[in-house]
Amino acid sequence: MAGGVITVVRRPRLRAMDTIGPLLILRGLAVTTRHFLRNLWGFLRGQPTIVTIHYPEQSQPLSPAFRGMPVLVRMANGKERCVACGLCEWACPVDCITIYPAETSDGIERYPEIFDIDMSRCMFCGLCEESCPEEAIVMSPRITIATTDWRGSVWHKQDLLVPGSGLAVRLEHVRRGYERTGAPVVGNQEEGRP
Amino acid sequence: MARITVDGAPIEVPDGSMLLPSLLDHGFQIPHYCFHPKLSIDGCCRMCLVRVEGMPKLTISCNTPVRDGMVVDTRGPEVVKARQGVIEMLLLNHPLDCPICDQAGECYLQDYAFEYGTRQARTQEPRRKLLKRVDVGPRVVLDQERCILCRRCVRFCREIAKTGELGIFNLGDRSVLDIFPGEPLANDYSICTADICPVGALLSKDFHHKMRVWFLDETESVCPGCANGCNVKIGTARRKVYRLVPRRNDHVNDTWMCDSGRLNYRFVNERRLREPHVRRAGSLVSASWEDAIDEAARRLGALTRTDGGGAVAAVVSPHLTNEELFVLGRVIAGGLRTVQRDVAIRLGAADELLIKAEKVANGRGARDLGLAAAAGEVDLAKIRAGVEAGSIRGLFVIGTDVWELWGDESAAIFERIETLIVQVTNEHPLVAHADVVLPGLTFAEKDGTFTNFAGRVQRVRRALDPGERPSDGEVFLRLGRRLGMELPPGGFEPEAVFAEITRTVTRYRDLSWGALGSLGLPGRES
Repeated sequence: MAGGVITVVRRPRLRAMDTIGPLLILRGLAVTTRHFLRNLWGFLRGQPTIVTIHYPEQSQPLSPAFRGMPVLVRMANGKERCVACGLCEWACPVDCITIYPAETSDGIERYPEIFDIDMSRCMFCGLCEESCPEEAIVMSPRITIATTDWRGSVWHKQDLLVPGSGLAVRLEHVRRGYERTGAPVVGNQEEGRP
Repeated sequence: MARITVDGAPIEVPDGSMLLPSLLDHGFQIPHYCFHPKLSIDGCCRMCLVRVEGMPKLTISCNTPVRDGMVVDTRGPEVVKARQGVIEMLLLNHPLDCPICDQAGECYLQDYAFEYGTRQARTQEPRRKLLKRVDVGPRVVLDQERCILCRRCVRFCREIAKTGELGIFNLGDRSVLDIFPGEPLANDYSICTADICPVGALLSKDFHHKMRVWFLDETESVCPGCANGCNVKIGTARRKVYRLVPRRNDHVNDTWMCDSGRLNYRFVNERRLREPHVRRAGSLVSASWEDAIDEAARRLGALTRTDGGGAVAAVVSPHLTNEELFVLGRVIAGGLRTVQRDVAIRLGAADELLIKAEKVANGRGARDLGLAAAAGEVDLAKIRAGVEAGSIRGLFVIGTDVWELWGDESAAIFERIETLIVQVTNEHPLVAHADVVLPGLTFAEKDGTFTNFAGRVQRVRRALDPGERPSDGEVFLRLGRRLGMELPPGGFEPEAVFAEITRTVTRYRDLSWGALGSLGLPGRES
């Protein structure tokens, strides 16, 4: 069969009744009223059938596999877990991460003096999270990153730090996904490194 | 020559040589830690094990002399298993520090662990705890846990630097690398120990936690610190120079480099002059390149027209490339119409290994190309006398070396000059006395050649893009044209100028730009 068969769906021909404007308005109102009454009934019974979510007061529950904006994990002592190893900077396909490492006198020895992510460039691929040997950068469920000014799209270290406890679900998912068992050997979860 | 068979392939190697270097020269990949081509053989790391037919056990190839008819196996299952054992033992106590270790990315242990290591450690005992940040010297930091006891640094300090600060202390699994009490690792070549350290145990403090090595672009060039012309790689990232590391050239520096040369790169990044300045109504204001060169040519031209070439002189920088010096020489003779020019060369301490007394990159080139005053000509001392006597009223100064040479009197001398045109790379007190300031480019921003103390001509390559700024040679060309010289059209092309040098300067006659390669060539013996 040469070329195959294309099924063409034509617009239905309008009946005479469909051309009378006031009738159409009444039909539309009937649909609206039906939904209103059904929702009212559900509301009164305490089982709303409404699908609308009152964003931003409410939001969808997101799957642990969802990748929102990348954030940095803050340890219990207030410091970042990141040691500025530069692997995420290297892995990032769109070069949205900029790190300037520096030295500290504590046991970790190294920290990011500057850690910037340009969210307008980030494509939420999660390669930074996958490459991180310290579980320090994590794709959070956060998606509210709009700004009114392009300068605001560059997030600095202080804006990116999130307590590790808030990311437990995602971290669990990541460990399963990348077949990591438990916390990494180096870097003890919250207390800092050995 | 001995004929040996390696992995079934027949090769010829020099009699009496050791197996490992011969194999490496023939492109075989043999893992090794303690072997270094410029150090004595120690044979302590056991990584370069190979199977030699007729020998009862595997043998370390670094300390096995070649013998005619030898049959060597470098990658059989027995060899690989032995190497896996060595790697596992080295990793027993090696900390999992890679994310914070500066060596990561150029670490032999990382590379070979990927090739021969197991992903999982079989031990359950805790790793050995040692000192993490030992301040062994002013420029080097030691992490004892990371050390794999290959003794390269110990041999370097004994055999090359001849100072012997480092040693392995204690025995067996208690062995640690350290300095002798009260004897810091402070020799002039101390950072070379960080270069040859196959892991991240010895690290340069200057580069410590500054930049991951995989972000660095490396450009083959030459150190401008002294007349020796050590071959280096310039590591650049984010439009900055982050480090200089030595590059092997057996004719010049083997694989070494002095600390002061290595740390002499900050002037490329910091306090640079980027805009030309012209003195108007007593103060320096920024100007366009065109205006600044016009102004310089107008002022110098006015002096030579009224008073002749005796009223002006040029002090030449020995940090210019041969090509720039060649163009500059023509501009001084044809544009300034003067024979009063000399090179300002700073002298300092020298040693027997690499460091030379001439603390400039291209003093030899300046002499070869006739920019230095010969006996009987007007030299730097006479230029100074001329300025002080008032006979020299206009001075074109390239570089700041002359300021250091004249010391405390510099300010007074330069204040006497009616027309002072300076071309310098960085902010400097000399600039305050100038009438026209032309920013120059550093060695990291230009293409060209330097000639080292022994007459070896070596390529300098551009590691950083100077952007809109014209090269020094371009500035000389424009100045020459403004001074009324008939110069061939077109911009400054180092390669074309070098070809012209080889045609006109006898010592450079046998050379060509392409043939210089990465190691350079000696010029013709005079």
